[in-house]
Amino acid sequence: MIRRALRMEWTKLRTVRTSTWSLACLAAFSIGPGALLVSSLGGMCPPECDADAAQLSLAGVRLSQLAVVVLAVLTVSVEYETTMIRTTFAAVPGRITVLAAKALALTVVVLAAGTVTMLAMFGVGRAVMPDGYPPLSLADGPTLRAFGGTVLYLGLTALLALGVATIVRHTAAGISLVAALFYVVPIAAQAIGDEHFREQLQRYAPMSAGLAIQATKGLDDLPIGPWPGLAVLAAYAAAALLIAAVLIRARDA
Amino acid sequence: MEATIDVQGIHKRYGRTVAVDGLSFRVEPGLVTGFVGPNGAGKSTTMRIVLGLDSPDAGSAVIGGKRYASLRTPLREVGALLDASAIHPGRRARDHLLWMAHSNGIPRRRITEVLELVGLAQVAKRRAGGFSLGMKQRLGIAGALLGDPPVLMFDEPMNGLDPEGIHWIRGFLRSLAGDGRAILVSSHLMGELQDMADRLVVIGRGRLIADTSVRELLAAASDNRVFLRTGSRSEAMTVLANAGATVAITDRDAVTVSGLPAERIVALLTDARLPFSEIGQHRASLEEAYMELTRESVEFNAGEPS
Amino acid sequence: MTYQSTIQGVRGGFGQLLRAEWTKFWSVRSTVLCLLAAIGLSILLSMFLTFNSTDANEGPHYVDQFGFVYQPLAGDGSVVAHVQSQRDSHQWAKAGVIIKQSLQSGTPYAAVMVTPGHGVRFEATFNTQYTGTAAGGPRWLKLTRSGTSVTGFESGDGVTWTPVGTVTIAGLAPTAQVGLFVSSPPNYVVEKHFAGNDQHEVPTNGEATFDNVSVRPAVPTTLPAAPGPPVRWSFADILDTNRFPGGLAPGGFTETDGAFVVSGNGDIAGSESVSSLEAPTGDDIVKASLAGIQIGLIAFVALGVLYASSEYRTGLIRTTFTASPRRGRVLAAKAAVLGSVVLVAGLIASFGAFLAIQPKLHEKGYEPPAYPYLSLTNETVLRAVAGTALFLTLLALLSLGLGFVLRRSARAITLVLALVLVPQLAGDLIPSIEAAKWMVRLTPVAGLEIQQSRLRFDTAIGPWAGLAVLCGYAAVALLAALWMLRRRDA
Repeated sequence: MIRRALRMEWTKLRTVRTSTWSLACLAAFSIGPGALLVSSLGGMCPPECDADAAQLSLAGVRLSQLAVVVLAVLTVSVEYETTMIRTTFAAVPGRITVLAAKALALTVVVLAAGTVTMLAMFGVGRAVMPDGYPPLSLADGPTLRAFGGTVLYLGLTALLALGVATIVRHTAAGISLVAALFYVVPIAAQAIGDEHFREQLQRYAPMSAGLAIQATKGLDDLPIGPWPGLAVLAAYAAAALLIAAVLIRARDA
Repeated sequence: MEATIDVQGIHKRYGRTVAVDGLSFRVEPGLVTGFVGPNGAGKSTTMRIVLGLDSPDAGSAVIGGKRYASLRTPLREVGALLDASAIHPGRRARDHLLWMAHSNGIPRRRITEVLELVGLAQVAKRRAGGFSLGMKQRLGIAGALLGDPPVLMFDEPMNGLDPEGIHWIRGFLRSLAGDGRAILVSSHLMGELQDMADRLVVIGRGRLIADTSVRELLAAASDNRVFLRTGSRSEAMTVLANAGATVAITDRDAVTVSGLPAERIVALLTDARLPFSEIGQHRASLEEAYMELTRESVEFNAGEPS
Repeated sequence: MTYQSTIQGVRGGFGQLLRAEWTKFWSVRSTVLCLLAAIGLSILLSMFLTFNSTDANEGPHYVDQFGFVYQPLAGDGSVVAHVQSQRDSHQWAKAGVIIKQSLQSGTPYAAVMVTPGHGVRFEATFNTQYTGTAAGGPRWLKLTRSGTSVTGFESGDGVTWTPVGTVTIAGLAPTAQVGLFVSSPPNYVVEKHFAGNDQHEVPTNGEATFDNVSVRPAVPTTLPAAPGPPVRWSFADILDTNRFPGGLAPGGFTETDGAFVVSGNGDIAGSESVSSLEAPTGDDIVKASLAGIQIGLIAFVALGVLYASSEYRTGLIRTTFTASPRRGRVLAAKAAVLGSVVLVAGLIASFGAFLAIQPKLHEKGYEPPAYPYLSLTNETVLRAVAGTALFLTLLALLSLGLGFVLRRSARAITLVLALVLVPQLAGDLIPSIEAAKWMVRLTPVAGLEIQQSRLRFDTAIGPWAGLAVLCGYAAVALLAALWMLRRRDA
């Protein structure tokens, strides 16, 4: 049953123009800012200032993650808004199956696109790295973790957004809520003077914690370690999907 | 203002698809004018052009001699129902009419009046999202009537109405026309318009096919043919064909005969000892006439069931 | 015979349209809920952010360090000097005449002075200040003591004196030290790099030239004693080890033919006076109490976009244009309704947040003098709080315009959020302060600067200029929407 459901969801995903657009935006806005930042290293920071070049080249994700959020939200919200969800449930009555199939198809797509994007970012980052800096290398453990981890970060973001969208069943509400959830701590924390409180917030907020995976230097200064940070994001995604699963069964289509 | 709709030579294409191709017709007051054509013929597009929603590539459409956009209180001149589901599901039926009333300065009591007219007074306070298709249709009709306009345009108003509803709307539109209003009703089902329309504008593939009164159309289609019902269909066909008639099968036990008067047919059949149970002047149905007319223009043809 | 409508319609004016759009707005429950959520979110978030305390208030209550050329004055009298020139080492460098209880830092004083950036001033006991003429250039200054009352004067010619201010210093010793003083506070420099900020002080050196200096004790009631030898001038650096623990460069003076060249570093100021006590990296607590708005704005953006895009999703746009064919007016009516609603909601949110949070912030450690108590009657505060409502209104209008242009909520919301959220995040990463500033100047985020209540090292643009940028964005979006609405089929 899940196989058929998976096929259905995959077809839905790949036959919609939004998917192509979202993934294109993901690529463009990930690579662009990162390249810009890395190439400006020369002027801003001599090699001794020990900048985290890998993290810089991955910085664009803070913006491009919105593309993934939109893609994830739309896979659910549009169905509810056009009542196409009824057709879906008529074809596949197992609602959890449908949710799982959506999650799986979405994740595969995002991970695949994310990997391609990361490889491109890596290549571009290497290319624009000014002379005098250690070149980016995937053989380097932390760098590999940073790039690979970001792919996982995008996948988890998609799952979190999917869960939220299933709960609210509305496009604008879904995007707004996920955006608020992600951006609240990085933005509002700038107004907090208390170092300790700020760190606490950053440790438990999905975006701040999740992005810790991108750091390759200065790990001791981070509010949370790379893998624990990703685990925090995973916990949010799991919680959202869990609530979504309960609601999707309980509510009328 | 004169209650007329005047469409002159409008052309409209969307991308590569030609929706309307040089269409001209006139809707007069005091009549129900049926606007018919197969799906995709350009009916909705034409109506949208009349209402100033889509702009034509060429030609003009005026109401009472004026362009829609120049009407000061358009809802008092023209009432239109284009799409019954064009309502916000979270809004109550009453409030949906309320904002329309506000936009044209129509007094509030009118809302209650039209809701009663269409039979939705009981559910005025309910959210439109929970309405059945028929109820949404009635709400749309109520909206069109809000300003008590002399010109009314309905795009497929019978969709989703039960037989009682169809009966009601038939009588309703006729009485509205009887008041001296100009009514344009579009449909892709002839049967619905059978006892309602006085005139017909038939279009296909964006072009005008016929602009005539219903009576003339039916007469042309009926064509002096004779309707015959007999159990021995094939034998009867042979006999009549031998006598020079053209025979068409209309049913398992029925045929239509042209070329011979009814009495002659009776004589031939009696001679051949072929029984028959019914014979009379063939009265074409609007459906038949329409199928004849539009056979070439049907774009989306389902295959004939064998 | 043609039918005529029996309904008395009112000539379809703009007022009708406004009424219709207003009805459309409140008659959908989810819109109203969204609005309430926006307000609630903004206030709650602001409150949440102030939960923990801060030790931001490390600032001293005063600073008292300067170079002092002094001699004792017994009883009443006056000291006069002509400030020939003052080095422009800092806008708050001070040079003038002073009377001080003793050479101890923190003791009472009264002084009249010139400053390169703020004209003539009379300041006393760390909390009294008066402003004199704003003109620069050479100036005559006089301080007169009478009992415990001290008055400062200024003059352009040394003959006609204008009082600048006066103060009563209770407990001023009968004999106090009077004379010339010079101070010049350090400059703050903040450097940004990838790991964060570096801030340090760069000292400045104050110097001024005085002539026509005289100290005249008041005429005694008893017969004058025989004139003794002229009292000698002494010099001391008044040192404030609290404020400048590492010390500053020492001052000094030279005298040639009655012309004194005095140098000194530091500052004399109290909590109530505007001066160099404000560190450029200090927190802007007005802005902080409105921090929740930065996230609450997402709900306002969604509201604006949906007000346009929902018409397309439901197909209602055709009915709207059938009822009101003048499309420009429909857009104007929608903008008017949305704008007024968001303005009111924004005022509630920002005033609510401010009133709820200010007391808490002070409780949690943001105390005077560095962070004085602010009331809504303060002009800056009023601008920040009411301006925030303006910011939200303009942002909502921008969203409305984009909602009509793009017609799909997902696209429009994402675009506006990208324009608004990203510059706020990027500041963290971009290594160049200039680049980060330009990002703020060129995006709608500039509108948030209306909230600024103190200049920081990363302040990119002035409050009203910032709002004007956002205004520009909103105007462009609405014009684009107008053009699209007119041009396109419904």
